[in-house]
Amino acid sequence: MSTQSIDLPLGNYQVQQQQADKKQKLAKPATPVSTLLKSASSLLVKHSFLSFAGLIMVFPFVWMLSGSMKSNDEIFSNPLNIFPEQFRWQTFVETFESAPFGLYIMNSFTVAFFTTLIVMINSAMFAYAITQLKFKSRTVLYFIVMACYMLPGAVTYIPSYITLANLGLLDSHTGLIISNAASVFGVFYLRQVFLKVHPSLIEAARIDGAGEVKILWAIVLPQCKAALATLFLITFITNYNSYMWPSLLITSQDLNLIATGIRQFFIAEGNYGLNWSQIMAASTIAVMPLLILFIICQKTILSGIADNGVKE
Amino acid sequence: MAEVILRQVEKVYPNGFKAVHGIDLTIHEGEFMVFVGPSGCAKSTTLRMIAGLEDISDGQIMIGNKCVNNLPPKDRGISMVFQNYALYPHMSVYENMAFGLKQQKINKREIERRISDAAETLEITHLLASKPGEMSGGQRQRVALGRAMVRKPDVFLFDEPLSNLDAKLRVSTRISIAQLHHDLKAEGQNATMIYVTHDQVEAMTLGDRICVLDQGKIMQVDTPMNLYHSPANKFVAGFIGSPAMNLLRATVNQENDATYIQLDNGAKFLLPSEKAEKVTGKIGQQVWFGLRPEHISLVAPSTEAATAQEQNIELTYIKVVESMGNEMYLYCALGQEQIIARCHFDPKINIQHSESHYMHFDMSHCHLFDIDTEMALVN
Repeated sequence: MSTQSIDLPLGNYQVQQQQADKKQKLAKPATPVSTLLKSASSLLVKHSFLSFAGLIMVFPFVWMLSGSMKSNDEIFSNPLNIFPEQFRWQTFVETFESAPFGLYIMNSFTVAFFTTLIVMINSAMFAYAITQLKFKSRTVLYFIVMACYMLPGAVTYIPSYITLANLGLLDSHTGLIISNAASVFGVFYLRQVFLKVHPSLIEAARIDGAGEVKILWAIVLPQCKAALATLFLITFITNYNSYMWPSLLITSQDLNLIATGIRQFFIAEGNYGLNWSQIMAASTIAVMPLLILFIICQKTILSGIADNGVKE
Repeated sequence: MAEVILRQVEKVYPNGFKAVHGIDLTIHEGEFMVFVGPSGCAKSTTLRMIAGLEDISDGQIMIGNKCVNNLPPKDRGISMVFQNYALYPHMSVYENMAFGLKQQKINKREIERRISDAAETLEITHLLASKPGEMSGGQRQRVALGRAMVRKPDVFLFDEPLSNLDAKLRVSTRISIAQLHHDLKAEGQNATMIYVTHDQVEAMTLGDRICVLDQGKIMQVDTPMNLYHSPANKFVAGFIGSPAMNLLRATVNQENDATYIQLDNGAKFLLPSEKAEKVTGKIGQQVWFGLRPEHISLVAPSTEAATAQEQNIELTYIKVVESMGNEMYLYCALGQEQIIARCHFDPKINIQHSESHYMHFDMSHCHLFDIDTEMALVN
């Protein structure tokens, strides 16, 4: 009979217990100085480590920014200076005018945006299917996806190139978008996130009469905003910065993405030789849209899932 | 509203485990049926099969004269209240309640009317704009009830809806559910309700009838009073009632035309003639002897000496005394056997543990069960 419940009159007992707890708290001795010092020193070590790690992360960006405002000689001066002797804002204007940056940024932005959109849609649908629908081959499907994750990207270049050539999609943004429209990382990441959505919410929605697409759209995705924002950002940045594959696929100048554009103008065929300050300025201009995007998404990414509406 | 019929319903999992063994059950229109049983008895699985959230391996489920075996949950005319509320966390209470109605393409004015009526009944009108995360457990559970109500289903399904609430809130919400059933009946909605719980207090207080399950089989389906007073088998006798019924191995003996129940330690209890008639075929055989704790009473110490020689009185050794305020549970040893007695608290009698006292066994309320089949011989 372990399953029976008896309502016990606990009122007085609880009051007594609270009073006893209070007394115990009052009687507690003050924290000794050595303990305080210990916690302060561990805090100091933690903060020092995190600050150091943060500096390592931010250094390339700061170096790029400061390099864009230095002269070519100043960049390689010994000792190295973080801050330029003179802030040459003019470099940005000159760089922007020397190449069709607007077009390249637009190209990169368009390709990255549509690729990301398609990746998010198909990753969400695939992840939903393998987490929330019951069918026999769902584990097999997941392992096939995971096996693809282990395949080096470079191995897929030749078959992908031949396929796109057969489809007549070489040297086009459509070909670039289609060839990047499936993301193994996207499926893996969203699968892990969707597994955390409580099954009873999906069941409640099914009883409420919602179809699977409606459940994905109205119940699952709104609860995974943070994960979606993260996936959006990662996929967008990857495709925006993509260099190798677009440089193989795109041959027309006006279809170049920003990374290949910068290379062609300032490194390979540029009229300026290796003008590092302009290369730095070009890179800074290229990175700006990503920074703005990150600032927009940051709040959502950090918000996470506050309450999942079910009692565990 | 609708009748729910289960015909030889079975559930076998892919690993071969058979969870439900051919259940046959009819739940009448407007009835409040409670599924009760220990963990793993398949009560929730059975409910989920009725809801369509779990496939059935064999058999037939009928809701309102329609076989629903292959129908998705939305087409079965059901609403379900989950143990963990299952409220959509990103939606307000209003949106939570309206979600199902919007899927049914009900017009906006009707949705507003239904939600406002349900909110008023459940006293959650002031919460309509709140999100689930901003509410207490009790409020969330009332919203979950409201979400089920507004759909005006043929059958309400409750899957342990009170398990996550504290003791006090559990009582008040239990009363709310009982009230809801009566109110819906009074309004002409003869709501069929199926309620799963492992808590027998909920089962006894809410159910028109109770279905006791064990290991995927129905042990007994009856009214709460009949289950308590006339258990069909040893499992039901032991499961229903708190503290549990005392169940001891005993032998049916006959001496001088009187039939006795004799324990292994030699203690003998005289069986009333109307009960003795039912076990004439069991003389000399072993049976399970059952007696509820409230039918074992303390003999007042002043009369002990005088009554010691009387029938159905035995000396017991009290091991633990649990005082509940108005009554006491006495955990005693009767020879090698352990028994529980439930006595009214009497300030004049001071009972301490590690004492020996005479107890009276009221044999007019005793139960006897077959030793092999465990089915009731005498109730």
